[in-house]
Amino acid sequence: METLTDENLMMDVARGNLDGLKLLFERHHMHVFNFLYKMTGDRMLSEDIAQDVFYKIMKYRTSYNNGKFVSWLFTIARNSLNTHFRNQRHTDGDMDQLNEVQLQEPEGREEEFSHLHRALSKLEASDRELLLLNRFQEIKYAELAEMTGSTPGAIKTKVSRALGKLREIYFGII
Amino acid sequence: METAHIKDRLVDYLDGTLEAYQREEVKAHLDSCAACSQELEELKTILSAFKNEAMERPSASLRTNFYALVEKEKKLDTKVLPLQVGKGRKTKEWAMGGVRMAAGVALLVGAYFFGKYQEGNTNMEQIGNLRAETLEVRQTAMLSLMENTSASKRIQGVNFITEQDKLDTEIIGALADRMLYDENTNVRLTAVEALGKFTSFGQVKDAFIKALKTEKDPTVQIAIIHTLVRIQEKRAIAPMRDLLGKEDTQPFVKEQIESLIPSII
Amino acid sequence: MKRSIAFLTVFVLSTGLWAQGYTHSLDGIKWVKIESKSDIVVKTHSKSQLLIKGKTTDPIPEKAKGLRLVGDDGTDNTEVGFYVFKDGNDLIIRNLRKMDGGSSEIYLPSNQNISVNSKGLNDIEITGFSGEIEASAEVTGNITILEATGPITANSNTGNISVTFNKVNQAAPISISTATGEVDITLPTDTPADLSLQSTMGEIYTNFDLSVPDKNGLKAVSTQKINGAINKGGVKINLNSATGNIYLRKKQ
Repeated sequence: METLTDENLMMDVARGNLDGLKLLFERHHMHVFNFLYKMTGDRMLSEDIAQDVFYKIMKYRTSYNNGKFVSWLFTIARNSLNTHFRNQRHTDGDMDQLNEVQLQEPEGREEEFSHLHRALSKLEASDRELLLLNRFQEIKYAELAEMTGSTPGAIKTKVSRALGKLREIYFGII
Repeated sequence: METAHIKDRLVDYLDGTLEAYQREEVKAHLDSCAACSQELEELKTILSAFKNEAMERPSASLRTNFYALVEKEKKLDTKVLPLQVGKGRKTKEWAMGGVRMAAGVALLVGAYFFGKYQEGNTNMEQIGNLRAETLEVRQTAMLSLMENTSASKRIQGVNFITEQDKLDTEIIGALADRMLYDENTNVRLTAVEALGKFTSFGQVKDAFIKALKTEKDPTVQIAIIHTLVRIQEKRAIAPMRDLLGKEDTQPFVKEQIESLIPSII
Repeated sequence: MKRSIAFLTVFVLSTGLWAQGYTHSLDGIKWVKIESKSDIVVKTHSKSQLLIKGKTTDPIPEKAKGLRLVGDDGTDNTEVGFYVFKDGNDLIIRNLRKMDGGSSEIYLPSNQNISVNSKGLNDIEITGFSGEIEASAEVTGNITILEATGPITANSNTGNISVTFNKVNQAAPISISTATGEVDITLPTDTPADLSLQSTMGEIYTNFDLSVPDKNGLKAVSTQKINGAINKGGVKINLNSATGNIYLRKKQ
């Protein structure tokens, strides 16, 4: 049997075969969840948002533009994450507030974060996000450029600089 | 070769994306520069840390819940299209709609995340789409909030609706479900208040009548009764009389009914 | 890691609480749901697990030795009179004792989401949680929530509800309602909130400066309803009593 690409599957979903969503969910939900978890440090919240992301994929299925599915998926994931923090803050906050949220260690429950996770959490949210998408989710420069309305060259430079900052934190706090 | 210039290329060097001659340049420099060699080693460590970073597993309910949402959606058979599709050359226009939609989403997101990257390529059409899109996003947010396991979040979903000026039948249906079936009294109560603003819909009136018959909590009963009296709904009189006859109806609820029935003329 | 184990050991040795306590992991638990027919006291502690301290006043009868307490809703699997089990992402905790079997205390980390349900003539007291709180007294019982931050939903059929906030989380709404009891809420003076206070037959008292009562107040049913913003508005707080009074106080 021929393996369907994500894009084929999603087009099929857009045409009304909703069961394809389950397959897409199986292929990608771990990635979406882990991206969100690294962004927020909050497991339950990440599950909530991940669910919202797949819900939106379902709701917006007819608006899928035949582009790279993963780019579309993570565009929605970023959007949902952002919406969440905007709603939570009530005021029109910006993403940097994520840092603040991140650093509030919840009392009582200690999550076991990896060293990489802790180092990432000390980066600015936009750098952290970029590195997670590019290095953890392995989304290519060109696709990131498409997602963010930028150019591959500019993204590459950003990534390189963000890695530089991460390197300092990573080896500074061991 | 300048050190700064080399440093910019270390990531590409590790990624193996440099041209052969560039790779040689970097290599030559690394042999003679201890600082850059160390930086390279550290970057290597970090990149492999990304590669080896363990994936956390979300709880099983994520799957269960999503599968349930898919099943529900299959039954709904609603129109979900935010962007209208022409009857004629379907595929093409449809695809274009998608592109514009994606632009809208990207714009919405970009404004917050990568604001600094994206400069000055917005036009009025995109902004128009963005507005339409925001409404859609809000609706989706409301619907998914109303399914949340937290009562407070469900109340939030219901509250959002009261801020809308236009509603479609799907949203009203979801709201009526909260009023009729939510296990949490406070959510039902909030839904009664929210629906009270949309009593011009026949669907809403029907839901109130039904709720009057099924609701057991006195606080919610009173809120329902007040709404029905306010809109002078004559069909409410019979079920209100039924409540008067029931033993388990709280005395003060009966008192309210008795004082209010005469005001429905 | 090692240090925390050492710390734990010292803790166990020095307090000896564990002898009469029951503990359960909270890994993967989103909500802890507590059901009880006798008084419920829920407090926070600095550990990431559940601890139930059964401070029973009457000791277990001699004859019951080696037997288990069996209630309507389950069998004691904790040796402190509770039935505890996992249901998906929920941890269900049922107190099997009836009426007053001594006040047991339940300890949880402060950021845990909890849902507390009283099924009898008992009171609920919850102190110190920053996670979400859902509290309901189905029959009759008072609900007291102290050092709260919200989000909270609380409902009692005929009991009073009293909530004292340390600060108010702006993330999700607060909704408190009772049919015949009183609602008594204390907020820090600088809390930004959109308030909606409603009592069908009772009175509403407050020392906050609320904007004018809602006068386009729909066709003269006797309901009193006040909507108003304090400190320029913020999270939505809804207080509702059918026949009782509502008190909204500034925190001193």
